[in-house]
Amino acid sequence: MDFLERATETHLRRIFSRKQLKRKKNLKSMWRRSASFILDRSSNSPPMADTTQTPFQNPDAISAYYQTRAAHHGVITSDWLAQAQAAVEQPDSSVSDLGAERSFNVIDEFNGWRKQPDLAEAVAAIRAMAAVIRASEATTMMELEIELKKASDTLKSWDKTSISLTAGCDLFIRYVTRTSALEYEDFNSAKSRLLERAEKFGEISCKARKIIAMLSQDFIFDGCTVLVHGLSRVVLEVLKTAAQNNKLFRVLCTEGRPDGTGVLLSNELSKLDIPVKLLLDSAVAYSMDEVDMVFVGADGVVESGGIINMMGTYQIALVAHSMNKPVYVAAESYKFARLYPLDQKDMAPALRPIEFGVKIPAKVEVERSARDYTPPQYLTLLFTDLGVLSPSVVSDELIQLYL
Amino acid sequence: MPDVQSTVLEFVNKLRKRKIEGSQATAKCTVELLRSVISQQRVPHSNQASALIDAVKAVGEQLVAANPVELAVGNVVRRVLHIIREEDLSLATAAMAGLDLLDASDDDGEDDNCKGVGYSAMSAAVAAAAARSTLRPPSLQTLLEGTPESAAVPYTSSSGADSESKTADKSSITRKLKHDVIEGVNHLILEISGCHEQIAEQAIEHIHQNEVILTLGSSRTVLEFLCAAKEKKRAFRVFVAEGAPRYQGHLLAKELVARGLQTTVITDSAVFAMISRVNMVIIGAHAVMANGGVIGPVGVNMAALAAKKHAVPFVVLAGSHKLCPLYPHNPEVLLNELRSPSELLDFGEFSDCLDFGAGSGSPLLQVVNPTFDYVPPSLVSLFITDTGGHNPSYMYRLIADYYSADDLVM
Repeated sequence: MDFLERATETHLRRIFSRKQLKRKKNLKSMWRRSASFILDRSSNSPPMADTTQTPFQNPDAISAYYQTRAAHHGVITSDWLAQAQAAVEQPDSSVSDLGAERSFNVIDEFNGWRKQPDLAEAVAAIRAMAAVIRASEATTMMELEIELKKASDTLKSWDKTSISLTAGCDLFIRYVTRTSALEYEDFNSAKSRLLERAEKFGEISCKARKIIAMLSQDFIFDGCTVLVHGLSRVVLEVLKTAAQNNKLFRVLCTEGRPDGTGVLLSNELSKLDIPVKLLLDSAVAYSMDEVDMVFVGADGVVESGGIINMMGTYQIALVAHSMNKPVYVAAESYKFARLYPLDQKDMAPALRPIEFGVKIPAKVEVERSARDYTPPQYLTLLFTDLGVLSPSVVSDELIQLYL
Repeated sequence: MPDVQSTVLEFVNKLRKRKIEGSQATAKCTVELLRSVISQQRVPHSNQASALIDAVKAVGEQLVAANPVELAVGNVVRRVLHIIREEDLSLATAAMAGLDLLDASDDDGEDDNCKGVGYSAMSAAVAAAAARSTLRPPSLQTLLEGTPESAAVPYTSSSGADSESKTADKSSITRKLKHDVIEGVNHLILEISGCHEQIAEQAIEHIHQNEVILTLGSSRTVLEFLCAAKEKKRAFRVFVAEGAPRYQGHLLAKELVARGLQTTVITDSAVFAMISRVNMVIIGAHAVMANGGVIGPVGVNMAALAAKKHAVPFVVLAGSHKLCPLYPHNPEVLLNELRSPSELLDFGEFSDCLDFGAGSGSPLLQVVNPTFDYVPPSLVSLFITDTGGHNPSYMYRLIADYYSADDLVM
């Protein structure tokens, strides 16, 4: 690390203790203006010879998915978003240069897409797969499918904890295997059609958020109080649309340690002139009687109809259920995953570092899991781009897709 | 056309003045009205399904606006729209199969023809798959497929057949669609009329010897259900909660006694006291929502809560015309109707309390007389419809079968 990087790291360490920092050179000036920092492990890792080598494994099993989300949530202001957008355009070109020398690295591509803060994980995965198709030299459909399968397995094994990544990959592979045999005799037209569909998928993601926002409008009535946990872009869209439709409502949002999602959400909501109240995570039961409904997003929707979401969602759902408050989940349909957790520990562990501000004795363990599983009986309805669903409909949808 | 319009207006008036009682009667009248609208609708040669759909939708919107609380009206309008779409789709696939056969029949062995056959077969398959997915609600499968082409595409797909046979085909298709739709609508009317018998057939599986059944208010479905069990020589007793303020429970009790069943009449407030001696609660629904929630006569929510507390099965009987594809977001207010306070209080005695002229202009005594009650799906054990017994979490499946996603918003 050069002198400037060391100096800034010391500076940061004084303010934010115990956070691993790696910075990109081209974001230096941007970083100075705002108090945000981008975590990017893989850009500093040595370039891989080809995709079949064992991908870089995090020794600490810290979930890359949650780190990226933390990075997105550094300080999200709308002008920061614009700057980040501009900044991530540049690394793309460097990736494609490297691609000329060595064989295509799908993980770099994926990370390139993933850094865009407004893009969902599954969309980034599918865009990465589209890049694989573009760079592929296959001449038959079978060959292309095999390459895609390999790329999908690489992506999935690189980050085992991200559910939307797995779901997005599976969805795309499923689509490819299903449509390839049907329609086209000409390989090149099939390939171009797959490419076109994959690139259109990003639009589907944005459209999905708008559809979900539209569907949930009826459920937010004038004078209601909504409890929100975690910073979901879909839920933000829902609340934004409700505010635009001149609905009068107020939002209670939990602090959301350790990500600090509460402060971020309250920033965004106060810009929309929605009355916001911040709660400690432990104050949820205390305030639950003045709440009319709970709105959460989801990292993944599992086969049973339950959801996997930021740590604390299960707790809130339990409290809401015991007090007869409806719990609504806003999730796009590509987050449906073929998982069936039987209890909280039944998923791949996703750990994240938690600072307590003071030094913890070495013998004390810390529960570092970043997410929990909420069983379907505590959820009232799911708003998806496929329509309003009750939790039991999810398994039906999954069966239709995978059978 | 003008006389159809006048019948529509007449029916709208009847609905607005609440002259038609009961969801079955309303549903039947609505379907018959729509049938006459369809038969009198003049359809163009191409794309006739959308002409029919637009006509039915226009009439349907008027009907739903006249009585938004009577959900059966909206339900049957959507059923008819679904029938139109289905018939159109089956005709389209039949037409394509017909075109293929036509190609194959004039086999000259030429290369062009063979290629033409192969190409049209494939494009037919594509168009059929696309058209099928328009009928189904959006799903994960179709997520990546993008917007499918409309069902009008098959008519324009070119093939090697001569134009004469094609137009002959088309005109027969023209007449067929209306005919098929009217047939489907007739079938729907039969279904609505026969729902009581279908449900009553299942009574014997649910009511056992020496059981005590509780019911609330009066429902013809429940009456038929109980009598069917009685006919099969099951001996059981019925508690009837009177269902204030209309006291329709009294009428039901009279009917049951006339058919030879041992009946006990109780007040609504005694339901919780008696629930521990009851084996099963059976009620008739006014409407069933997509999440499995039930709109029933006022008082059923109380009975459902009491039943849940004492682990008594709560069974709801509903004909298929009562299944509504909407999700209730505020059912107690939006799907309820407030009736006249005179059913509760006698104007003569209370005229001074209910005086609007005195003081501030609004009387101190308010009377609320709601017609319906909403029971959340967690309190219902079983739904018995004319297709059989189902879990509340399964209702979305039936709704997906009966309705198309495009018709949900009218």
